[in-house]
Amino acid sequence: MSGGPAVRVSIESSCEKQVQEVALDGTETYVPPLSMSQNLAKLAQRIDFSQGSDSEEEGGEGEPRDREWGKQEQEEEEGTVKFQPSLWPWDSVRNNLRSALTEMCVLYDVLSVVKEKKYMALDSVMKDKNPFTICQTPQVFQLISKKKSLATAAQLLLKGAEKLSKSVAENQENRRQRDFNSELLRLRSQWKLRKVGDKILGDLSYRSAGSLFPHHGTFEVIKNTDIDLDKKIPEDYCPLDVQIPSDLEGSAYIKVSIQKQAPDIGDLGTASLFRRLPKPKPGTQTWHVKLEAAQNVLLCKEIFAQLSREAVQIKSQIPHIVVKNQIISQPFPGLQLSISLCHSTGERKNHRASPEKPKPDDHLYVLEHNLHQMMREFHKQQLSSVVMPHPASAPFGHKRLRLAGPLAYDKAEISSLQQNEGLLEKIIKQAKHIFLRSRSIQLQLNIGVEQIRVVHRDGRVITLSHQEQELQDFLLSQMSQHQVHAVQQLAKVMGWHVLSFSNHVGLGPVESIGNASSVTVASPNGEYAISVRNGPESGCKVLVQFPRSQTKDLPKSDAIQEAKWSHLRGPYKAVHWSRMEGRNFVYKMELLMAALTPGP
Amino acid sequence: MEAPPVTVMPVTGGTINMMEYLLQGSVLDQALESLLHRLRGLCDNMEPETFTDHEQVYLLKGQQGNPFILRARRSLSHPTAPWHLRYLGQPEVGDKSRHALVRNCVDVAASHSLPEFLNEMGFRMDHEFVANGHIFRKGVMKVVVSKLSRILVPGNTETAERLSLSYLVELSVLAPAGQDTVSEDMRSFAEQLKPLVHLEKIDPSKQRH
Repeated sequence: MSGGPAVRVSIESSCEKQVQEVALDGTETYVPPLSMSQNLAKLAQRIDFSQGSDSEEEGGEGEPRDREWGKQEQEEEEGTVKFQPSLWPWDSVRNNLRSALTEMCVLYDVLSVVKEKKYMALDSVMKDKNPFTICQTPQVFQLISKKKSLATAAQLLLKGAEKLSKSVAENQENRRQRDFNSELLRLRSQWKLRKVGDKILGDLSYRSAGSLFPHHGTFEVIKNTDIDLDKKIPEDYCPLDVQIPSDLEGSAYIKVSIQKQAPDIGDLGTASLFRRLPKPKPGTQTWHVKLEAAQNVLLCKEIFAQLSREAVQIKSQIPHIVVKNQIISQPFPGLQLSISLCHSTGERKNHRASPEKPKPDDHLYVLEHNLHQMMREFHKQQLSSVVMPHPASAPFGHKRLRLAGPLAYDKAEISSLQQNEGLLEKIIKQAKHIFLRSRSIQLQLNIGVEQIRVVHRDGRVITLSHQEQELQDFLLSQMSQHQVHAVQQLAKVMGWHVLSFSNHVGLGPVESIGNASSVTVASPNGEYAISVRNGPESGCKVLVQFPRSQTKDLPKSDAIQEAKWSHLRGPYKAVHWSRMEGRNFVYKMELLMAALTPGP
Repeated sequence: MEAPPVTVMPVTGGTINMMEYLLQGSVLDQALESLLHRLRGLCDNMEPETFTDHEQVYLLKGQQGNPFILRARRSLSHPTAPWHLRYLGQPEVGDKSRHALVRNCVDVAASHSLPEFLNEMGFRMDHEFVANGHIFRKGVMKVVVSKLSRILVPGNTETAERLSLSYLVELSVLAPAGQDTVSEDMRSFAEQLKPLVHLEKIDPSKQRH
């Protein structure tokens, strides 16, 4: 209250330090007080950083991920300490510390991205000073970046392609281990197959292509199980085999030939000469070769059946003869056309045909090919949509023929609708044409609209314009050449030797049309020689060379001692061709040659 | 002048004595595509052919019980094609082992005045319908897949109402009498269509009501 004597009050803090131990003599050992940092640590331990006022949900989880940051170990304690209001003064400390940590983490991340570029890379963001230059990277940079990306893409593709080519090569290597199913798939891609019960049957006939031949053409696919796995698998092993009908085995072809003289009656029906089969392409399966051969046999049989049916049914002036596997007809008197089906089963070699040397092959491949083509065309006609009936209930048949009833066609109209020419007649016509062509002259004139085209026998094609003089000139030149050719042929027939022959001689007067041609032939005993020079304009000039002994004035010479030299041919003498006897050039020439050939 | 002698014997042989071998079945509309696909593969290789036909059935009622039936059919998709007149006899009661229905069949092509002619002869039209669908062939076998529609207004083929939600499938062969191998071929062909459509012989006389 009011002044009294001041009392000295001394304040003494309580014992700050804790007593650690009391010694026996009463000395007290104190626990050393905490230093500044220790005190701070102790206080900081009380702060729960995970329970910050601004902490997000991920804050607590995001931080444990960064293991390298040492201070994290404190926060991993998963403090269950609740928010302590007594730590309010430390709240700002905690928040600042936390934001500092965040910043450091970000900085660390950025640095690692910049340094390592493992998962992310820096990409510059252009300051857009000008809105029009936003995406304008320099051209070089674009090029380089495109190049790089293309290179990467190409690398990938190449890798893939390598893998593919490796697998393809492997596949080809494993060909021997092909299994039945993959072979079956391959077979199915080329031939018609169907399953009947537990058998796999196929159809190799042309029926689905329009043929009406009643052969079933069924083949069976069987598994090839007679393979010894211990032994080495043979080169051409195939796990699949086909069994073809027994009458289609082997191979066949149709032989068409024209003979000038009729063979003996006894020779009929024996045409069974065989030609070598073409070698199958390497890589084709045995079943494919077999099936193709069987199909060919079937087609040949159908063609021959059709021809023989027509030969018997069609009435012609000279009846056709059908003997066993041969059809014989006579297109022209003295000319014989024989069509035969040559079928060899291949098992037994043709021992009866091989001893004799095969005759020169007069087989006309063209006609055989034509027969095949015509048969296939006939098949195709069967399938044409002209045959489909409208209305649908009507029977099959040609559309126009169905109109015959309602439109009351008479016999002439109906017969014109029918196919009146069979296979046999067509082939006979073609044979006749071939025969005539081989005997006729060498030119063929195609008269068109603007120009005339001349086709020569040896393949030359000449185009002439509308001026008739050109055609005339051309024909004249051809005529002169033809005459010279005729002399050549005649020489062959008469036994004279051709010494020289030229289609276009360079000697003598120049022709205005074409070129002159010449030939020199010598008599069989060499004594005489005939030279012919024939030009379109200059006409025909024939010279005969006589032996020296027949000339009047022989030049005497000391060098020639013996008499035999006088048999050599000497000077030439011209022939008055216009005064020669004979109807035409060939007759005259023949007469001259005959005159100069001394008799026996 | 005497009239030329007229033969009193009936004309036999040729195309008069043709028999029709028939197998029938049906498929629902949903199964049509797969059936056509299958037929395209099995039958001859031609462009698929569709048709639209209008058929009229004419009856001639005699004094006796059974009327005489003639079927006149024309194509709506090919108007210039001739009409087709068909007579189908009673199915032959042969052995039961024969797989197809066999009946006598006479087909005649006729001009466009056929309906008037039949009317003049005394036939009366019993019913008519429109059939459209696809037609296939395999050799001599004909497969017809058709949808039948009823004509609401007589004579007007535009307004036709479908009769059912299915297609009628018919396999038929026209052959001279006595060829029994035909039914074997038909049966084996029908086997190949087996899971998609069951073709069997359906006796029309048993269907009559």
